[in-house]
Amino acid sequence: MDLLKGTGITKLFGGLRALASVDFTVRQGEIVGLIGPNGSGKTTLFNCISGLYKPDFGRIEFEGRRISGLAPHTIAAMGIGRTFQIVRPLMDLTLRENVTIAVLYGRWGLSHMEAAREKASSILEFVGLSDKADSHPGRLALEDRKRLELARALGSGPRIILLDEVFAGLNPKEIEHAVDLTFRIRDEWGITVFMIEHVMKAIMSTCSRIMALHHGVLIADDGPEAVANHPRVVQAYLGAKYARG
Amino acid sequence: MASVCPTKTAKKVVGIALLSAILLVFPWLGPPVYFISFLYTVFMFVCMASAWNLIGGYAGYLSFGHAAFFGTGAYAAAMLTKAVGPGTASNLLCSIPSGLVAAVIALVVGYPCLKLRGPYFAVITLCFAFVVQLSVQNLGVLGGPDGLWIKGMDLPVETGRSILYESMLLLMAITILVVERIEHSKFGAGLRAIKQDEEVAQTMAVNAPRLKMGAFALSAFFPGVAGGLHASYLTYIHPTIVFDVNMSILIVLMALFGGGASWLGPVVGAVLLSFINELLSTFVKAELARIIYGSLFIVVIIFMPNGIMEFIRKRKQTGSPH
Repeated sequence: MDLLKGTGITKLFGGLRALASVDFTVRQGEIVGLIGPNGSGKTTLFNCISGLYKPDFGRIEFEGRRISGLAPHTIAAMGIGRTFQIVRPLMDLTLRENVTIAVLYGRWGLSHMEAAREKASSILEFVGLSDKADSHPGRLALEDRKRLELARALGSGPRIILLDEVFAGLNPKEIEHAVDLTFRIRDEWGITVFMIEHVMKAIMSTCSRIMALHHGVLIADDGPEAVANHPRVVQAYLGAKYARG
Repeated sequence: MASVCPTKTAKKVVGIALLSAILLVFPWLGPPVYFISFLYTVFMFVCMASAWNLIGGYAGYLSFGHAAFFGTGAYAAAMLTKAVGPGTASNLLCSIPSGLVAAVIALVVGYPCLKLRGPYFAVITLCFAFVVQLSVQNLGVLGGPDGLWIKGMDLPVETGRSILYESMLLLMAITILVVERIEHSKFGAGLRAIKQDEEVAQTMAVNAPRLKMGAFALSAFFPGVAGGLHASYLTYIHPTIVFDVNMSILIVLMALFGGGASWLGPVVGAVLLSFINELLSTFVKAELARIIYGSLFIVVIIFMPNGIMEFIRKRKQTGSPH
């Protein structure tokens, strides 16, 4: 079943076509990767899905309902969570408060503070931050900030989670943890994952399917091996010379 | 922390009860008028700074136009008492619908204005307050530049004053209570998320537009009621008095002086600034008083950018072994 489906998504910034009629689908229970060189439109696509941008043309559907044009909080409340590439913790609040707010307004239906706080604690434990729950994000190292980003996205109880480069800037050991966590999100929580990633090793081992964007155009959508060897993908990353050889 | 609390909370409750009792009986002990009217003004400012904090402190939308809501309340009360006939009860009760009028205006103005952030919101609310003041000044129905007389309450002056004092005290208590409740609620948590990062808040399903509107309307309601009571207190209102831009600024300063992060901040800020202001104007020459007052602000802003309460809290935190 198509959980998330986009048809003909086009986003213009003045004369620049950041996305040019992109079609994509994400099915229930998948872990799908989205790759592409810098500036290819990956984050723009995520922003269109989560409602921070309104696509100029095209239509995005979630569980068969149109979401393009809706406000970001409505889309989030329907069950689309996301993280930000450049981590954006709510700095004046503790980790627990960060996640508690997501829980309060999310799909759990917990309006009671104490219940929400407990739920937030269990989510922080899941991502491995329970020992730092009462400190402020300013004290965290990058890896932990990324985990917090993840915890907050999980906090609203999403059905699909959009991960924007959660592996970037992490060392190999940390990446291993993050890959493991990604699988657990899908397997234990039943959340579909749609992730932007540059770290090829990680994305190859995590995703069952990868889409590649280049200059706002979807150039490949296939299994990991096939996409990695796709001539147009190689060309986009390394240049035409390598693609031919 | 929880284990230390019981005795502390008990002390707090006793302290608050004692303070309330003293404040309640104070006007009936026959003190000089000066003290009654001074405390009355303190209550009024505590009420307004606390209400302002909902939108300014928690949500981070600095409104520089709250005098507009105060003035709206005053004019609404004046018109309402004229319509229903003056009297002690009607004068006091008319302040409540006056607060509602202010809240409705906040909703109408907030709808477009709350889409602006940061300094843009501050400037547009400041302009809004000027527009309201000028409109009232030019509206014949509202007395225009002549202002409006309000039929006072049919009571001896002292009794009337004491009753208004008690009403303002009650209003202040209700405002503080409401704000404190909100601070620890889902609503308050959402507002704090909006202050930190509105986009992120929205991706966490926080309905930012609605929450901001709610906070703005509530933050206008209480000053509106205060304005309604104050109309009866003044018995004569004029646009330059009840829409005074200095009042808008003073409310902001009081809240931020004490600290916008908690309900206690605006209370402390309003009380302290009222006292400092009063002491300076009593004991120091006016020119010198302004200089001291201004320097005080500079010192506080440099050394306690998040207000006095936050400064004290941080001190306590670093002082205690962690």
